[in-house]
Amino acid sequence: MALLELRGISSHYGNVQALKGVSVHVDEGELVTLLGANGAGKSTTLKTISGLIVPTEGEVFFEGKPIHRAGPEAIARLGISHVPEGRRIFPGLTVRENILLGASNRKGVPRKQLEKEADEKFEIFPEIRRFENALGWTLSGGQQQMLAVARGLMAEPKLLLLDEPSLGLAPLIVQNLFATIRDIRKRGVTILLVEQNANMALSVADRGYVLETGTLTVEGTPKELLGNEQVRAAYLGGHHG
Amino acid sequence: MQILFDNLQVLFQGLALGSIYSLVALGFVLIIRATNVVNFAQGDFAMLGAYAMVMFFTGLEWPYWLAFIASLVAMAIFGVIFNYGVYYPLRHRSFLPVIISTLGASIFLQNTVLAIFGPQPRPMDKVLAADGITVGGVFLDSQYLVILAVTMAMVLFTYVFFEHTLLGKKLQATSQDKDMARLLGIPVALMISITFIYSAVLGGLAGVLVGPILFVSIGMGSIIALKAFAATIIGGFGDVTGAIVGGLLLGVIESLAAYHISVPYKDAYAFLALFIFLLIRPSGIFGEKVSEKA
Repeated sequence: MALLELRGISSHYGNVQALKGVSVHVDEGELVTLLGANGAGKSTTLKTISGLIVPTEGEVFFEGKPIHRAGPEAIARLGISHVPEGRRIFPGLTVRENILLGASNRKGVPRKQLEKEADEKFEIFPEIRRFENALGWTLSGGQQQMLAVARGLMAEPKLLLLDEPSLGLAPLIVQNLFATIRDIRKRGVTILLVEQNANMALSVADRGYVLETGTLTVEGTPKELLGNEQVRAAYLGGHHG
Repeated sequence: MQILFDNLQVLFQGLALGSIYSLVALGFVLIIRATNVVNFAQGDFAMLGAYAMVMFFTGLEWPYWLAFIASLVAMAIFGVIFNYGVYYPLRHRSFLPVIISTLGASIFLQNTVLAIFGPQPRPMDKVLAADGITVGGVFLDSQYLVILAVTMAMVLFTYVFFEHTLLGKKLQATSQDKDMARLLGIPVALMISITFIYSAVLGGLAGVLVGPILFVSIGMGSIIALKAFAATIIGGFGDVTGAIVGGLLLGVIESLAAYHISVPYKDAYAFLALFIFLLIRPSGIFGEKVSEKA
C-alpha cells in the first residue's frame, strides 16, 4: 500500500483549472520528485495534499484513509509536513520560535523536549544556529530555506512535502541543501519534492513525475527520465549527459 | 511647591485615565493583528463589562469581588459569541464586510443594553472602600491606584503570555501568516477565538475599572474607544507596545491640557494630539515595526 496516493485529482483556483485528473503515489521511504515548468501545477498538487486546496474531483489517500476533505490542521496532525514555496517564515518570531512551532501538530510534548529537538535541528543546519534569537525576517533567503526545512522536520513527519527548496539560492547552498535532503531521507522520512531544478532533483530521487499544464505526462526512474528526449529537451537543457 | 503638587496630581490622574485607554487599545491591536480588521465594537466591550458589573453587583447584590470575576467571565463568554456571530462567518471576505459587521454589532449592543437597563447612567462603587491616600501634597485616589495597578499587572501578564509561552507564540504566528500556521497544525479558528476572548476581557476590565469614575452609561464605550483608537495610531498602528504607550500618553496629554487650558475641551485635546501626530509622525511612535509585518 502506498503511503500517499492521489487518484484522479482535479483542482481549481476559482474558474481556472490547475490540475486535471492527476494520479500520483508515493511509497513509504521513497523520495519522489515532481518536475515541471512554472504554472504546471506542482505547487497546486502539494497544496491539495496538505489541504490548503480542496480538490474538485478525485481523492487523496494517506495511509489508506481519505484526507482530501480533512483541512490543513488535521492533515498536519496525521504527519504530513508541508514546507511551502517562499519559505513562509514567521517574520516577527525568532528562529528558535519558528522551529518550536513546527511541532504544533504534535499534542502534549513538553516544552523541554521540544527545546531539545530544536537543538538537534541546529545540528542538522549549523548555519542558522547563531541566528537562533534573531527575528525570522532578518535571515537571508538560504537561511530562511534551512529554517523552513528545520521547522518542517519538527513535525516529525511521515511525509515531507518540499516545494522548490532551491528557488533563489546560490548553487553552493543548493548543493548543501540537497545533501541535507539526502540525510533526512536516510532517517526514514518519505519525501515528495517539487523542483524546477530537475537535474538536482533527479540526483536524489527514486522516482519522478513530469507535470505539464495540470496533467501528468511522464513517470519513471531518474534514469528513465534522463533518457527521455522530451523531458531532456524541456527541463534538463541540452547540455546534460 | 503647590504648583508642582498640582501638576503631579494631574499627571497621576492622566496616567490612570490613560491606563483605561491602553487596555482598550491593547484589545484593538490584538484583534487587528489576528484578523486585520478594526473592531468598531471594541468600546462597547468596556460598556458591556461595566453593565455586567452593574447587573451582578447592584442588581443581584453579589459580593463585589464575585461580581467583578463574574463580569470578566461573562466578557470571556461574550468574546466567543462575538467571534462566532460577528467575525467568523465573514472570515474569508475582505476587511470591509467585517468592519461593517462590527459597526452593526456596536449599534445592536448599545440598543440591547438600552432596552434592558434604560437610558439613566448608573453609579458604581469603587473597588476599595478607602478614598485614597495623600503622599506629600498629592492625593492618590484609591480607584486610580487600582486602575494603575491592574493595568500594570495586565500589561505584564500580556507580555509574559505572548513572549514566553508557546500558546502566545502560536497566537502571534496566526496573526503573521494564517495559512502557514494551519500547515503547522495550529488550530487557527481556536487561536482567533482566544484573541477575541482576551480582547473582550481587556475591554470589560477597562469598563469595570472606569465605571466608578465616569458613571456607567450606554455611550461610555464610544468615547473610550475613540481615544483608544487614537492611542493605537499615536503608538503605531498594530503595535502592542505602541498601544500601551499611546494610551498612557493620551491620558496624560488630555489631563494636563484640561488642567492648564480648559476643562470643557477635555475630549478635544486627545484628537488634537492625534492630528499633530498624523502630521508629524503618521507611522506613530513605534511605527517602523508595522512594516515588518508584511
